[in-house]
Order: sequence, then C-alpha cells, then structure tokens
Amino acid sequence: MKRYIDSLMRMDWLLFGAMVALAVGSVFFIYSASYRGPGEPMPHFYRMQIVWFGVGVIVYVAAALIDYRLLCQWAAVWYAMAVGLLVLVLIAGAKVYGARRWLGWGSFGIQPAEIAKLAVVLALSYYLLHRTPQLRRRWGTVWVALGLVGLPLVLIMIEPDLGSAMVLMPICFGLMFVAGVRVKHLLLVTLLGMALTPLAWLKLKDYQKDRLTVFLNPNRDPLGDGWNLNQSLIAVGSGGVSGKGYLQGTQNLLGYLPRTVTPNDFLFSVIAEEKGFVGSACVVGLYAVILFSGLRIAANARDRLGMLLATGVVAMLFFHAFINVGMTIGLMPVTGLPLPLLSYGGSFVLASMTALGLLQNVWIHRRAY
Amino acid sequence: MIISAPFRNSNPRLVMIGVIIGLGLFILLADLWRVQVMNAEHYGGRDQAQSLRRIRIPSARGEIVDRNGVVLANNRPSYDIAFYLDQLGQVSKKQDIVRIAEANLAALSQALNMPVTLADRDVRIHYQRRRPLPLPVWRDLRPEMVAAFEERASNLPGADLIVTPVRQYPLGSLAAHVLGYIGKADQNDDADMERFYYYQPDSVGRQGVERACDEFLRGAPGGYTIRVNPAGRKVGDVGRKPAELGGRVTLTLDARIQKIVEEALERALLSAGKELRGAAVVLDPRNGEILAMASAPAFDPNIFNPGVPAATVNAVINDPRSPMLNRAIGARYAPGSAFKPVTLLAGLEAGSISPRDSIVCNGAIQIGNWSRPFRCWNTRGHGAVDAFSAIKESCDIYFYEKGIATGVDAITRMAGELGLGQPTGVDVGRDLSGLVPTPAWKRVQRGERWWDGDTAQLAIGQSFLLATPLQMACMAAALGNRGTLWRPFLIKRIEANGGQVVRQTNPEVRNRLHESPQNIEFVRQAMLAAIQSVDGTGHRAAVRGLSVAGKTGTAEFQMREGRIKRAWFIGFAPHDDPQVALSVLIEDGDSGGHTAAPVAGAILAGIFQKKMEAVAGGAVYAD
Repeated sequence: MKRYIDSLMRMDWLLFGAMVALAVGSVFFIYSASYRGPGEPMPHFYRMQIVWFGVGVIVYVAAALIDYRLLCQWAAVWYAMAVGLLVLVLIAGAKVYGARRWLGWGSFGIQPAEIAKLAVVLALSYYLLHRTPQLRRRWGTVWVALGLVGLPLVLIMIEPDLGSAMVLMPICFGLMFVAGVRVKHLLLVTLLGMALTPLAWLKLKDYQKDRLTVFLNPNRDPLGDGWNLNQSLIAVGSGGVSGKGYLQGTQNLLGYLPRTVTPNDFLFSVIAEEKGFVGSACVVGLYAVILFSGLRIAANARDRLGMLLATGVVAMLFFHAFINVGMTIGLMPVTGLPLPLLSYGGSFVLASMTALGLLQNVWIHRRAY
Repeated sequence: MIISAPFRNSNPRLVMIGVIIGLGLFILLADLWRVQVMNAEHYGGRDQAQSLRRIRIPSARGEIVDRNGVVLANNRPSYDIAFYLDQLGQVSKKQDIVRIAEANLAALSQALNMPVTLADRDVRIHYQRRRPLPLPVWRDLRPEMVAAFEERASNLPGADLIVTPVRQYPLGSLAAHVLGYIGKADQNDDADMERFYYYQPDSVGRQGVERACDEFLRGAPGGYTIRVNPAGRKVGDVGRKPAELGGRVTLTLDARIQKIVEEALERALLSAGKELRGAAVVLDPRNGEILAMASAPAFDPNIFNPGVPAATVNAVINDPRSPMLNRAIGARYAPGSAFKPVTLLAGLEAGSISPRDSIVCNGAIQIGNWSRPFRCWNTRGHGAVDAFSAIKESCDIYFYEKGIATGVDAITRMAGELGLGQPTGVDVGRDLSGLVPTPAWKRVQRGERWWDGDTAQLAIGQSFLLATPLQMACMAAALGNRGTLWRPFLIKRIEANGGQVVRQTNPEVRNRLHESPQNIEFVRQAMLAAIQSVDGTGHRAAVRGLSVAGKTGTAEFQMREGRIKRAWFIGFAPHDDPQVALSVLIEDGDSGGHTAAPVAGAILAGIFQKKMEAVAGGAVYAD
C-alpha cells in the first residue's frame, strides 16, 4: 500500500492542480448554466457532476498506478471490448434525438464512443511500438494503423456522432507522426481523405450539413441553425473583458443560449459571458498547462510506449478543447464535442480523468525505481 | 518547469506537436480577444437589443382650474381588464393565439356578463408586436364590475386589472369650447420612437386650452425596461422611471359665471322651429380677463376618452349644428345696431354729430340714387330724434344721415380703435379678425366703388361689417372702462408640476382711446338709457339694483333658407364702475332686444346676484 502512495506522491502536481482547478470550475459553472434566477427551480446537474468527479478520482488513481506497460499488454482486449460496445450500442443503445450513443440502464448510461477514444490510444500506441523503425516507414504500417482507427470511427459515424468520430483522426495522425511514420505518407493520406470528403458529404445527415453550412455563414438562418452559434457569440462577446459576474450571464439566464445543451456543449460560453476575457483566458491557460505538461511527460517517458501514450492523450484533449472553444466563437463548426473536465457528462469526465491518469502513469513510471 | 525539464527523448516531432498545440491555443486566445475585447461593445449591444425592451409610459396631463381653483380638467383612474397574452398558454401550429385568447376570454366574459368586442386582428397584432404588454379588453369598468372581476378572476391565467389615467372634465360640457379636448398623438416623436421598443403615445390637446397649453400640460413621459426571453415573454423588470405629471393651468374663467352664462344661453327664448346657436362672452373691463366664454350648442369633451363608442364621437363631430365650433371666437357675424355706439363716437369726435342736434325720422329715407328708400326698423318712424334717443331707441334713420355726414373713414378708424377688424390677441383658440370694410377693400374685393349707401349701412352695423362675439365684448369693455382696449386672455397662470410659476399673464393694453372723455361719457350715458329707460330697446336686460349700460343689435342676414336675424347684445355693468362687460349673440333670433337682451339680463342678474326687471310685452321687432 505504501508503495502505491509513494508512487502517487511522485505524480506531476502541476498537472494535477490544473485538473482540480478545471473540475472546481466545472461544478460552479454547471451550476450557473442551470441557474434560472433566485428561487426558481433548476436542474441539479452540478450535483451529478460532483458524483462523476468522485468516481473519476478512483478511475484516475487506478489509471495512474497500474503500470502502463501492463495496461498496454492488454491493449487488444481493451480494443476488442470497445469495438464490442460500439456494436452493442448500435443494436441496444437508447435513441436520443435520433442518435444511438448511449448504453444505459435506467437513468445511468455510458457512451461507448468515449471508451473507444481511450482504447484507440492504447491500441495504436501498442501497435506502433511493436513495429520496427523500418516497418513504421512503410505503407503497410499506415494502412493497418488507419484500419485500427477506421473500424471504431465508422461505427461511431453510424451512431451518428460526427464529433467523436473526428477526434480519432488527430489521435491517429499525432501518434503516427510521433512514432516516425513518413511525413510523405501522412500527407498523401490526408490528400486522399480530402478527396473523399465530397463522398462523405453525401452520407451526412441533413442536420450535420446544416451545422457545417451555418459555420460557414452564421447569419444564413439566424433563428434556426445559426441561432446557437449567434447566441453563443453574443454571450462570449457581451462578456467583455471582465464579464457580467457569476450567475449574471443574461444570455444564459434568459435561455438565449440553448438550455438543453448549455451545460455540455456551451459551458465555455457561460464562463466567457460571466467571467469575460479574463475567465476564458484562464480556461485556455489551464488547458495549456495540461497539454504542455502532457508533452513534457511524453518527452520524459522512460520508453517509446509512454511517449506514444502521452502523445495520444494530448492529441485527444487538445482536439476536444480546440473544437469546443472554437465552436463558441464561430471558429469551428457546431459539433457536440464536450470540453475536457468542464462540460457536464459522466462518460467524458471519466474518459478525461482516465486519460490524465494515464499521463500521470507515464510520469510516475518515467524512471525505474 | 516545462521548459527547464530535460527532454530525454528529444524527439523533434514531439516538439512539432508542441508548436502546433501552442499555435492552436494562441489562435483561440487571439480570437477570444477579438470577440471579447475588441468587439465587446458590438456584442453587448446585441445582447441588450435582443433581451431588453424599453416601454414608454405616457405622461399624465396636468390640471386645468378656474380662477378660484375649481377643477375643470384633471385625470381619473380608469380600471381596465387586460390580458397578458404571453401568459395564456403555449402557442403552436395547432393552438393559434387568437383561439387561445378567445377561450380564455370566454370564461371571463361569461363570469362578468360582458361581451367581448375585441377583433381577431387586434389580438394577433398585439401578440406579434407588443407581446409583453397588457392587451386591454374591457376599459373603464364600473366599480361593481371591478369587484366582480376581483372575485372571479383569481384563477384566470394572464388576466389583470390595470389602472390607466384618463382625462376627465368633471363639470361635463361646462366651458367645453374653452377647454378643448384631447386625442392620441398621431405624429410620434421620432427620437422617442427609436429609444423605445414599445411606444405608448401621449395624448395631445386638439382644441382650446388643451391645445394652447399642450406643452405645459403634457408633462414628461416615463418608461420602464423589461427583460424578455427568446420567446418574447417577460422575465423581469430592469428599471422604471415614472411619468411626470404635467403643469397646472389656471384660467381667468370663473366656473360660477361660466355656468350662469351657459344656463342663460340655454334658456334663450326662441321662436318655434329655431335651434339655439349662439355665444356669450363676459370680460373684466378692468384688465381683459375673460370670466366666461360660452358657445351653444356645446359638447362633452369626456366623449373623446378611449372606451367611448366611436358612434357617439362621430355623432358629435358630424352634427350639422357644429357643436364643436367655438362661436365666441371662431365665427363672425354682422353686429347690426350694436355697432351704433361706434358711429356715434366717431360722429361726436368728427363734429358731425352734436348732442343737441336732432332729425326727424319718418321710418324711411332716400339716399343717393338707390332704387329703394333706406328704412328704419321702426317703419312708423321715431319722430324727432337726437343723438341720445337714437342710441336709446336705436333709430336707423338718424345713423344713416349722421353716418354719411361723418364719413366712412372716420367710422372705420373708430371701429379699428375699438378693436374691430383685427385679431384680439386672445391666447386660446382661433383668433379671427372680423371685417371692417373700407372703400379700398370694396374696390379690390367687389370691384365696385364705395357708395354713400354703403356708409349708411356701415353706420348701423350692416354692410360688410363682421365681428366675433369676443371682439364685441372687448369693444363694450373699452367703452365701459372709458377708453382702454385690453387684450382679452384666458390663461392666467401656469405652474409646473413642482408649483413654480412658469408663466403669469399680465394684462396688456392694446389701445387707449384718445377721444375726449366727454364724448365717451355721452356714449356711455346713451347706452345706460338704452337699458334703464322703459322705452330703451335693451330694457329686457335691466336688472333691479344694477345700473346696466348696453346696446342691442339685430342684423339681417341672407341665408339660403331665408332671411335670419342675428340678435346681439353688448353691455357693461355697473355703469359707474364697470366690473363686467359682455356680449351675447344668438345666430337666429327674433331681435336683439327680445332674444339677446334677456339673456344678458339673466347673466348680469346671476353674476351680481340680483333679480331682473320684470319686462312684459313690447314690439317683437324692438331692435
């Protein structure tokens, strides 16, 4: 037991601190996002979020302490489990707003797509580790890697959950890049992907197309699909430098920000409205701490596996943060990608904390003790 | 710490990833800076624009009171039942707002036993444009209705009792022409329109004092700001600035005298088949203050309030008798013999009339080569007539002769000196000039030269001469006070809401007659005799214990329907030290002496609280 506590004490405390700061902020601003005015009844999402963080701590500690090399030996199992769950959700998942993303029992549910993200990181890291440098520079490696990512990606697309599916791409490319796959190959694959984009367009659902066209021109339909983006922009912009004050965000309070998705997708808009540029810069700063700590951990990992694992996690978290914040200010299309640690939602809180636990794992085990 | 940590695997590709992430976060920060710092004002404005609604509260008009503080116009609360449409229920494709409103209204309509008079269109427009504001359904409820509503409406969603100020004229039609009336402003202030999302217009004065003092009575509008949610429903109040009550206007009018005058006019004895149309003005000859100004028929300015059926209003507006016309200042009439004092004074001054001269009246006279002789109203003739008895008995022949002797220029000059043919300068309403014809005027207007016959007609107040009752009252006042022509006025004082005096009207002399006091006194004495003597034409205006001086007039006037007679009386009392001067006009009377003089007598008796002389019988055509 003492050995585990000693190990835990060797974790990266700066990374831990940033995580705690975001978690505390998450609870406060989920409260604010569901606040309806003094004395008004409000949904108690923030309490559930506290519970998720509580569960998350256990997952976090476990992910940090069980040696990542041991974990990765089971990569194939994790991967198979994730794919199995993705298949299961398509069959037995609960249909919400026309998409099957939830595997649930009663009010408790998980999103297999979140598990798949972590499983892909583990499996791809493990796969790339076991390729010799020569093989990593061949086309064959690229195709297998793409195949490993492609299977869950397609399954997630079928749900459909375009945002989560897209997250797998930077994970894949980040890992291949750091693992030493030729840049020429990566560029060719990218070009191929772009060439296939028009085909993918045909496969998109109407609402997905709308979101993308609205991103290109938010005022095309200001009361329909452009509404969320416009209202988010107004919320963020009207926050100004120092914000309107906690629980004072009128865009949120009056319901101009869409109530159903604000605690998840538009939590950043609430923070930006109530705390202004100062608040949003703090959020971006905390992510910078987490991401650069992650890269430092990658650089200091005792082996290639640790480096790859850390890189995969960083890629995943960065993509989430960038897409979500970018979405609130019209820089990115509206997708339901949550903000790591801040957005309301159990599955992604657990996935994020597992990912951060993995980072700590690589850090803790960076030397042979 | 990040930088100083050793890069054990100094993998350049890891550094590349770091650069990409750094760049990505920098782009986010830069764009957040652009949105939140550089464009904060723009987005802040959009935030306000979409969630804040400024609503204008119309100002409450100030009071109008008489010289003694008797309230002539103020505001009373109107209890209206209104619906907040946004609280009635969910509007959807299936549930139209009109149907929802109908369903809700039906219950209340049944409970209160009052029919709904709201058009579907009104409901829809209100819902689309003014959703957070109450939609008035029943206005100005009687107290028992208010009680019934309070009892039964507690369970009705969206229904509310709202109180709005309504203009009230507590004395009804009293002084209606002086007070005027109000209406909703149709020309809205554009700057205001921009400031307010929901514009509730002020009332503006349309006539009379309400119009003349509009800017003082109007007060300042207030406003309040509410927050609305995306559905347009009100979610809270942000701020409120109450409307300011307008200023208080004190008139020179005396409500007691006004009432006496209106009642006296009402009681004017008319021959069968004639409708009462007329006017009367009572002035203070010492300063020009108008104590009463009445016009008949009158109207009740309360009908212009919201909630009064349009038919009622239209009936008044389209009434062929023009009840809304203020005949005391807005209509011109030939003064007839009431003008004779002017001719007399002109003649005395010119030397063409001497108090001792006399002529013989045979009832007719030939003037120039006129085809027909000029007649006296008394066709049997007055016999020997001097200046004094010519006024007292109103002999036309005397004034034909003496008028021609005096000359048109001297008469018109004197008429001008006494304020005829020019605006009186009164501070409320239209101010007609009337008409004093001159040879030059006739040449231009009629293309004809001025004949002696014209002068003769002018001398007895006919020809083309026109004057308003107010002008005639001013003239009577100037004779009464021995030569000072005052500017008549109605607005004595205006106080702002706080009580400080904004405007105080000082009496203003328009003209001081330079004619000799003896001549003026002679005219005054003749006018005294015209009333006090038993054979005076104006004896029906005599009041016991009061020395009344005056002059009657009967001007024949050719109308399409036939000849009608304008019956006039002008006068002042008491003779020695006049406190009131007055004029009475009946548009279609029998004669000044029979129709107008008794009205004047009743007015004077009322003002001085004395009894009229009992006068019986007499010739119907006593001029």
